[in-house]
Amino acid sequence: MLEIKNLTKIYDDGTVALRDVSFRVEDGEFLIIIGLSGSGKSTLLRCINRLIEPTEGQIIWDDADITTAEPAQLRRIRRQIGMIFQQFNLVKRSTVLTNVLSGRLGYVNPGPSLLHRFSKQDRALAAEALERMDITDQAHKRADELSGGQQQRVGIARALMQQPRIILADEPVASLDPVLAHSILEHLEQLNQEDDITILCSLHYLDLVQRYASRVIGLRGGQMVYRGTREEIRRMTDEQFKEIYGAEAERVGGSLEGTLGG
Amino acid sequence: MADSGAPIWQEDERSLTVASGRTSPQGKRPGQKGASESSAGLVPAPVAGVASLVVPGLGHVLTRQIGRGVLLFGSLLTIVGLAAWRIHDLARLEVGVVAVLRKALRRQPVFVGFVLLGIVALWLWVAWDAYRRARLDRRQGGVGVFFLILVVFFVLGWQIGEIDLYKAVTELPDAWPPLSRVLWPWDAAVRRETAEVAAGAKIGVPCDENPPALPEEVPGEPYVVAEPTCGQLSKLDEENNVVPGSRLTLTGRGFTPDTETQIWWKDPIGNEFRQRQEGEYVSLQTDEEGAFQIDIIMPYRLIPPSAAGLQIWTVRARQISEVGGLKPSEPLVLSIERMVETIVLGMMATIFGIIFSIPVSFLAARNLMSGSRFTMVIYYVTRTFLNIVRSIEPMIWAIIAVIVVGLGPFAGIVALTVHSIAALGKLYSEAIESIDPGPIEAIQATGATRLQTIMYAVVPQMIPPFVSFSIYRWDINVRMSTVIGLVGGGGIGFLLVQYIRLLDYRSAGIAVWFIAFTVAILDYVSSEIRQRFV
Repeated sequence: MLEIKNLTKIYDDGTVALRDVSFRVEDGEFLIIIGLSGSGKSTLLRCINRLIEPTEGQIIWDDADITTAEPAQLRRIRRQIGMIFQQFNLVKRSTVLTNVLSGRLGYVNPGPSLLHRFSKQDRALAAEALERMDITDQAHKRADELSGGQQQRVGIARALMQQPRIILADEPVASLDPVLAHSILEHLEQLNQEDDITILCSLHYLDLVQRYASRVIGLRGGQMVYRGTREEIRRMTDEQFKEIYGAEAERVGGSLEGTLGG
Repeated sequence: MADSGAPIWQEDERSLTVASGRTSPQGKRPGQKGASESSAGLVPAPVAGVASLVVPGLGHVLTRQIGRGVLLFGSLLTIVGLAAWRIHDLARLEVGVVAVLRKALRRQPVFVGFVLLGIVALWLWVAWDAYRRARLDRRQGGVGVFFLILVVFFVLGWQIGEIDLYKAVTELPDAWPPLSRVLWPWDAAVRRETAEVAAGAKIGVPCDENPPALPEEVPGEPYVVAEPTCGQLSKLDEENNVVPGSRLTLTGRGFTPDTETQIWWKDPIGNEFRQRQEGEYVSLQTDEEGAFQIDIIMPYRLIPPSAAGLQIWTVRARQISEVGGLKPSEPLVLSIERMVETIVLGMMATIFGIIFSIPVSFLAARNLMSGSRFTMVIYYVTRTFLNIVRSIEPMIWAIIAVIVVGLGPFAGIVALTVHSIAALGKLYSEAIESIDPGPIEAIQATGATRLQTIMYAVVPQMIPPFVSFSIYRWDINVRMSTVIGLVGGGGIGFLLVQYIRLLDYRSAGIAVWFIAFTVAILDYVSSEIRQRFV
């Protein structure tokens, strides 16, 4: 169980990205975070594995406080938390296989890894992850030769190499077309249901939210303004919608198929 | 001012009302100068014109076109200054403005006339420009004045640069012989071994009762006899007319048949010189048996007064023949050696440059150094230092290095290394600044250590620009090292400048060819490699 308590992040320039955010994520949830650009979604996700240092608050994961972890301990925590990104963040000039294997860096002996040497087990694991993401054919291509959807699957394979208990997905489909978006989220759903990996994912498209979320939280200006289950999001009122997306926002049609933010 | 301004001003107002309603009413009353309108000047248009006539650009400044005014003033001031210098230079000895102008006009009427007219035209044009732009209140147009400025600068530049196209064409024929040697120097690239066949006879000067004996004849060896074996040298009489010396008959046997043979003298103190007859060197052909016979007149030679009494001279017949195959000449061998030295010099400078510039580039990368105020200070200091070092040409560094470590390739290596560190440091630091932070973030998120993050996220991004810049620098360094030799930094440039100073244009040509070859090949190779990596 992951518990966020009173999390606040104020950047050096004085920008308040998160203000007193608290929520809980049970193991095995598919939590989707919605909100406009700049509402603090990315900051929240990056605070969880401390790519960004929180200013105040606690992040408790299985009785351990991530916010106070020492560097070595932090690396042990990080290796159990996979992360995928909007821009995929692959090393473009390295091969797909190297990118996937780099997901194992938190587990391996640092010495040989610097020379790009990995054990048989790690290579087997990489082959399995590639197979699962259906990109085995691409293993020896350079990452930047792949299409956007394939690159994101490499990103997921890299996260899988960590044998994670949580995956943080920072707008994983914002750079992809709607068909690919569904395909990527289906992969995440599969990981959530088959491997029992907790997923925290930020999204822009409300139709995707309804389809995949088990629970939803909404951020606006760094504060939590909405929380609900999948059923509740279908019944979201206009007031709740405007609470999240601002007074000028308009819902398209009667349902929640509007695309927002951007 | 008011008198001359009035009629223009009225016309001005008329045209204003006709033109459009949007023009501002500036210049209606001198007292009401543009207090409220932001675009209005401080003075009416005619005043601006007159002001620019007095001080070019002043009118523009007064009508709030400060940039244009300053630019025009600066341009005109520079032109007047340059013109005054050149005109004074043409009439250096004259005193007084009129005398100077007259002399200068007489010496270069086209130049002086054009520049003076140009200045006057410009001056008037600037005044008119000030008036026009103040009146129309349209801050556009008036490119013509800058075009005229450009033309005047061009004419001044032509004269200051002493450009003489006529000379470049007419003196080409005189320059052709040395130039042709540079363009096609390969006659001097090879040589043959030579062998000498020679024999001599002793001649007593002056004749006395015991003239030198004839040499002994050895069968198979070349042999020369003189008849007689003594005589008088040619002399000058009181009127400096030549009094011919004794006539000798030389008979030779046993030489190489059908070969050119030269006659040489050796005086009593051992100096050798070649026999001339009527100004030409004596040269003869041996017959098919290797024999010859020739009459010569004993040469004129200044003899020190102390050398009284009998002196023994030697007259020699020499055959110089080429034997064996072609061999590379000394200039060719030296050029190859120095060329290799040059390439190695450039390579060593590049390697040293890379080694030293890597740590420097980290200090000069903004994204790495923006952590604290202290590191930012280091960043700025490093950047400034790199810029200063880079702005000093390798040639200057070579002169300094020669002072420190002496002539030779090491001085060149030092000079090029210093410049390479600065240039590569800047390029590498910009490459570091432009790396994508995304992969770094992603690798960190996997729980990787700092070193692993660098190896997996930073290094792959750094390699292509790194390789590309390094090879480019090697290319530059080899090219520069050919020039650095000119100031004593070793390499082929050193050889080249020596040959040029000895007026040995063929050898210089060989060096030039090697430089051109190497630079062209290197240019091609480096661009090929860089294309693969980018």
